[in-house]
Amino acid sequence: MRDTNREIQELLADYAEALRDGSIPVFLKSLTKQEGQRMASSRDFWDSAEVARALNSAGFADKAVTPDVGLFISRVDAKIASRMKKARSSSRTRHNAAPKSFTKPQRTEKAL
Amino acid sequence: MDKGLRKALEGLMDPDIERRRRAMEPFVRGTFEMFIRYLYRYLGNEVECEDVLEDVYADIWENPQSLRNVANEGMLLKTVYLYYMRKRLREVYRRINRRLYLSQDDLKNLMAPESGILDMMSLAELKDVLNKALGRLKARERRAIRLWMDGMSNRAIANELRTTVGAVKMLKFRTILKLRKMLDDSCLQS
Repeated sequence: MRDTNREIQELLADYAEALRDGSIPVFLKSLTKQEGQRMASSRDFWDSAEVARALNSAGFADKAVTPDVGLFISRVDAKIASRMKKARSSSRTRHNAAPKSFTKPQRTEKAL
Repeated sequence: MDKGLRKALEGLMDPDIERRRRAMEPFVRGTFEMFIRYLYRYLGNEVECEDVLEDVYADIWENPQSLRNVANEGMLLKTVYLYYMRKRLREVYRRINRRLYLSQDDLKNLMAPESGILDMMSLAELKDVLNKALGRLKARERRAIRLWMDGMSNRAIANELRTTVGAVKMLKFRTILKLRKMLDDSCLQS
């Protein structure tokens, strides 16, 4: 990914490799302006990118280490709990910010 | 669809948020592997997949209405991708797009595209279609793709095929385009 002016076939190969290795951000950051334009205007690139994703899925998704579901469930539950808390606190804030009834004693003009 | 997953999906439609929260556990157990393998297509990184999926599940808990009419696992995956995953994937890449030379639309198409035929296939369907297409390639083309799918780098493939890295990249590009055409044809036929 060190070349500065890659052709479409090189860009595709690097994209596919980055996808496989989980380093897409590095690939994106390596793109120069010309390369970005080249990719944007190449129909072949977009067609082959879809196949590269499919190959990535068929070839490597099985090899990916799937994490412990039990641990993951507790993460999801914690996330849900935090969203519930946020929703409750925002509804409370809204309730507190609601316009209050006029209980303030109105000023009356002092009698002369 | 698996009975447990069907029941969990019904639980997710409960208006009570606490009951929905309880239904999340069987739902996550029943779908986690399928979802994470699907996300892997776009991210290629287990840690990133987990982070995105955590938000996806919380979004489903918050607003499960899009899953109301889901009838089977294929439809579930399709719906989850379209209504929940895609939004989160786009967020991931929007964050890193500040200093990039790609337009927001191009990045969106690269990272979380509108679903094409291949994107919408299950892993088993995809493997079946790909194996058939790979069988119709020339021996050298098939070998290059197989070596790449085995995890070899371009340089290692070049050594194996006794050629240059540039030639391997060109061979892969041409072969992928060829595969694309074959896959389109086979999808049209079926």
